[in-house]
Amino acid sequence: MQFAKDSFYIALRDRLATVNPARTVAINGATRPAVLVLENEPATANPLIANAFHLAWSSLQATAGEDAAKRPLLAMACEIRYGTSGTLDGGVDRGRVMAALDTELGEICSPGRTEKLDHTQASPLDLGSNVIWTKPTLKPIETDRKTGLLLVRNAELTVFFFPEVDLS
Amino acid sequence: MTLALRSTMQPVTRRVRAYFAPVDRTTETPAVFDPAGLGLFALDTPPAPWLDLGWVTNFQRWSRTSVDALRSGTRGAPAQSIRGALQAEVEFTFREWGKLQMALQAGSQHMNVLATGSNATPQPSGGAATSAVPLLSGSTATELQVGAGNVALFAAGNMVAVDEDYQQQTGYVGTGLAAAYVRNAQDVQHSADYVRRVTFNVGRVGGVTSTSLLLAQPLLGGVPASGASVQRVVAFVDREGGSFFQEWSALFVMEEENGARICFYYPRLAPWKKTNAGTAEQSEKLFAIDGVASSLGQVGLHASFVALPVSDVNDGEQILCYRSFFPASSAALY
Repeated sequence: MQFAKDSFYIALRDRLATVNPARTVAINGATRPAVLVLENEPATANPLIANAFHLAWSSLQATAGEDAAKRPLLAMACEIRYGTSGTLDGGVDRGRVMAALDTELGEICSPGRTEKLDHTQASPLDLGSNVIWTKPTLKPIETDRKTGLLLVRNAELTVFFFPEVDLS
Repeated sequence: MTLALRSTMQPVTRRVRAYFAPVDRTTETPAVFDPAGLGLFALDTPPAPWLDLGWVTNFQRWSRTSVDALRSGTRGAPAQSIRGALQAEVEFTFREWGKLQMALQAGSQHMNVLATGSNATPQPSGGAATSAVPLLSGSTATELQVGAGNVALFAAGNMVAVDEDYQQQTGYVGTGLAAAYVRNAQDVQHSADYVRRVTFNVGRVGGVTSTSLLLAQPLLGGVPASGASVQRVVAFVDREGGSFFQEWSALFVMEEENGARICFYYPRLAPWKKTNAGTAEQSEKLFAIDGVASSLGQVGLHASFVALPVSDVNDGEQILCYRSFFPASSAALY
């Protein structure tokens, strides 16, 4: 399961580096593409860094009709959260920046598949199958109640993969 | 890496892509899909002569070739299997509209509605057209040389049909692709514009130069024939009825999400309509758009075909359809 999560994250991270090389975050002095997996970041970290995509993993289940399979096709929900205050005084361009983030999310999620690799190896090991995912569903934009400046969006998608071990 | 995974023996696909190629109607020679040479082509850039007709939904194949038992003995026990009359059908819904999709779905002769003058007598498939503009030398499949004096007759965004004048011949007409069959010149009013009225050689003007028209897509028939002319097209029209039947080679590809690709190759497909009103599909299929805009619907074209046979050169067998499977690189093979 971890391999699927890692492969999905790295696919999005590497695609963002191509789609928009300027979309980066600096964390602990290291600059990297602005795709973060919340469970991999320090628990004390800022819960939402502006202009970055935050991945959070959720439910996991076998897909319909796969219960009897030794290695069923599994479906794991993923939430991608991002927000912006814009780049201009007063945040007057925050809607445009949010639209740019929406577009970039669509781009980095396409095509909806990548090889499943074991990234714990020095040289990633091909595990022989793909990780597949749906198109993201973009939820309504929320506005920060205190300032009215920060716009936040949640997007949801489902990631599919076959497990590396028998489950029955 | 494990090279015999059972999980990747389960193909997963997101959609079915449809590709068509013309059958040479004079010789009844289909376009060949050779899995060895073409099987893993890039789906957005199919190799010639295959044409990308977009993704389709409701894809269904029907094998209706009967297989029965030959019986023998006093109890009539099955002795061996016998294969009866060959029959296979395929149906699906085109999600994109275009000239080819319409022609294939309607199954009959497909027509270009040529631009008319203000005094033309109204006709359901288009009245007498404005004069055609002869193409000059140097024209290609993507650039039509019309001369400085004629460029102003066209503008970016116009649709055009390009083909030869009708020469009172009989038989199949249309450069590159058989667009219609003329039995008698009188049937088509001896009209010089008739071939352009039916040709598949259409294009949209993407821009103009001082002497030529630049097409946004290449003409399906390739470089215009010597003596070809161009006319403006305002719409496409097909008709219920008529005597012409489309016949095309078809290839359907299930995209490989999990590494495996499945292809269905029909060397010869002809229109097929169910006669039972209870089971027949509507020609235009509405797909409701969910959400607040629920009154909106996307319009698909539901098409159904019957497969015609070819002889497989490898063993001489009569075949209607080929299914090829390209396993994922890590999959067990059995």
